[in-house]
Amino acid sequence: MIAALPPPPPAIVAPAPERSVATTEQVRVAAAMTDARVMVDSSFRGASIVLYGAVFNPTDRPADVIVVVRGPDGPVRLVKKTRNMGFWVNSRPVLFEGAPGFYMTASTRPLSDIADFGQLRRLGVGVDHLRINAPQESRTVTRYGVRDVVVSRLGEDYLDYRRAVIRLREAAALYRTDPDGVEFVDAGLFRAELELPAVAPTGQYFAEVWLFQDGAPVSVSNLTLTVEKVGFERDVYELAHRRPWSYGVLTVLLAAFMGWGASRVFRRV
Amino acid sequence: MDIYLPIAEVSVNWPLLVLLGATVGFVSGLFGIGGGFLMAPILIFLGIPPSVAVASQASHVVASSTSGVISYTSQKAVDYRIGGVMAFGGVVGALLGVELFRYLRLLGQADMVVALSYLLFLGAIGTLMLYESLGQILRRVRGEVVPHKERRRPLWLYGLPLKMRFPRSGLYISAIPPFALGAFAGVLSAIMGVGGGFILVPAMLYVLRMKAGVVVGTSLFQIIIVTAMTTILQAGRNQTVDIVLSTILLVGGVVGAQYGARLSGRFRPDVLRALLALIVLLVGIYMGLEMFVRPSDLFSFAPGVAE
Repeated sequence: MIAALPPPPPAIVAPAPERSVATTEQVRVAAAMTDARVMVDSSFRGASIVLYGAVFNPTDRPADVIVVVRGPDGPVRLVKKTRNMGFWVNSRPVLFEGAPGFYMTASTRPLSDIADFGQLRRLGVGVDHLRINAPQESRTVTRYGVRDVVVSRLGEDYLDYRRAVIRLREAAALYRTDPDGVEFVDAGLFRAELELPAVAPTGQYFAEVWLFQDGAPVSVSNLTLTVEKVGFERDVYELAHRRPWSYGVLTVLLAAFMGWGASRVFRRV
Repeated sequence: MDIYLPIAEVSVNWPLLVLLGATVGFVSGLFGIGGGFLMAPILIFLGIPPSVAVASQASHVVASSTSGVISYTSQKAVDYRIGGVMAFGGVVGALLGVELFRYLRLLGQADMVVALSYLLFLGAIGTLMLYESLGQILRRVRGEVVPHKERRRPLWLYGLPLKMRFPRSGLYISAIPPFALGAFAGVLSAIMGVGGGFILVPAMLYVLRMKAGVVVGTSLFQIIIVTAMTTILQAGRNQTVDIVLSTILLVGGVVGAQYGARLSGRFRPDVLRALLALIVLLVGIYMGLEMFVRPSDLFSFAPGVAE
């Protein structure tokens, strides 16, 4: 039966293990992460988190797992360089109202093999289907005293800008697609690795673990992950943002003190 | 050996930063300059966001100038009166400059303005210095006598109101030119993260015609006030000062500066100036180059501001 499946690339089948009666009826996925909190401190160089889970598949049809992790949404401002009288100059900034600060998919097979375009688009699964908020009409907003052009979803250059956001974020390891990132370690038991780069934004992350069967989602499991600054790093960050003026004065005093100290020390030597 | 910088939000190799601080400190001690113009491009090259690099290294200039002023004060080589007028101008300039930088940054034009300022100012100063110092070296080698040109202060300096006496500098001029000079250096300090010594010293010597002995000490005094002000303003308005980054740079910087200062006595001043001119010119060209080369990616992120 299994050998008769279409070969390229073979989906992993989760043979039905022995289970209680309640789980024998429906196809289900359950997942958890090794860490629910990632602490960013002075030694932070990124983090690696393992997401693991189990697939209950009483049917004999194969199921695919897709893991989607989204970081906190935020507005994105983008400039494009254009050649102007021999100089490369930045254009006026364009603004996307919101894009995830981190986005990763890991799956058992390439996404396009698991489900069709419409399905992925509807669920927002995959960087090509990532929801980047843009209104219907192009308009200008004034933010911080600067007039930004908000990218319109229907504008002709929308795709260029969208691709640029994804490309730049991919270069910073903030967006990633891993077509074989979900690996089955045992019957029905899978794991996926989530790599957070050092530049990953802090905040709340959401992970969705989708189970697809015959190109349609049959089950989903939702998880959250918190990335936060802790310890000295957090104190510095908080001070710099809550009491910026005192922080500035402190920096200057420290610098002046060190300059003075050095001249004292070296005069004696 | 990596350390995560809380404001820049990147992780960098800290021994490399100490070494960088020491190298720039050494150069600044050797030539008697702040060294800001050298630090910012290297930090940007290491992947620190330009706005954080420019704002954080201003405090490095504070430290290296502090030890300088202390030694010049003991030699009575600081004119606090004219320095105060210039520093007042510098604070006004820094206020304007930080707001201008904030606006440019949000407009997405900060990088270009930084690059253009580096190209223009460093290019011009570097070329002038190189020309002058090479000429002097040539004359020395050929054994010619340096023609002594009697330069006079521009007449318009005397036509301006608000005259003040600056006995230590041997001046009785209007307060407006030193004020304007200080203000100009203040704007540069906010935009380029430099102290502005490379503009101040020649201007004080050749335009204001101050006594040569007090020029360097006074300019350092003005630079401390202005860069301290810039640091506070950048922290308060833009939240771009990374105290961890600046402290690491300082540790290397203050030590390097002392060794540089000791070594500077071994070189002839004209050779030193020619070397400095070459460094200044190269940095200016390097920073300006990005405007002429087709970028590898036409798109880039523009910074937002935490609301």
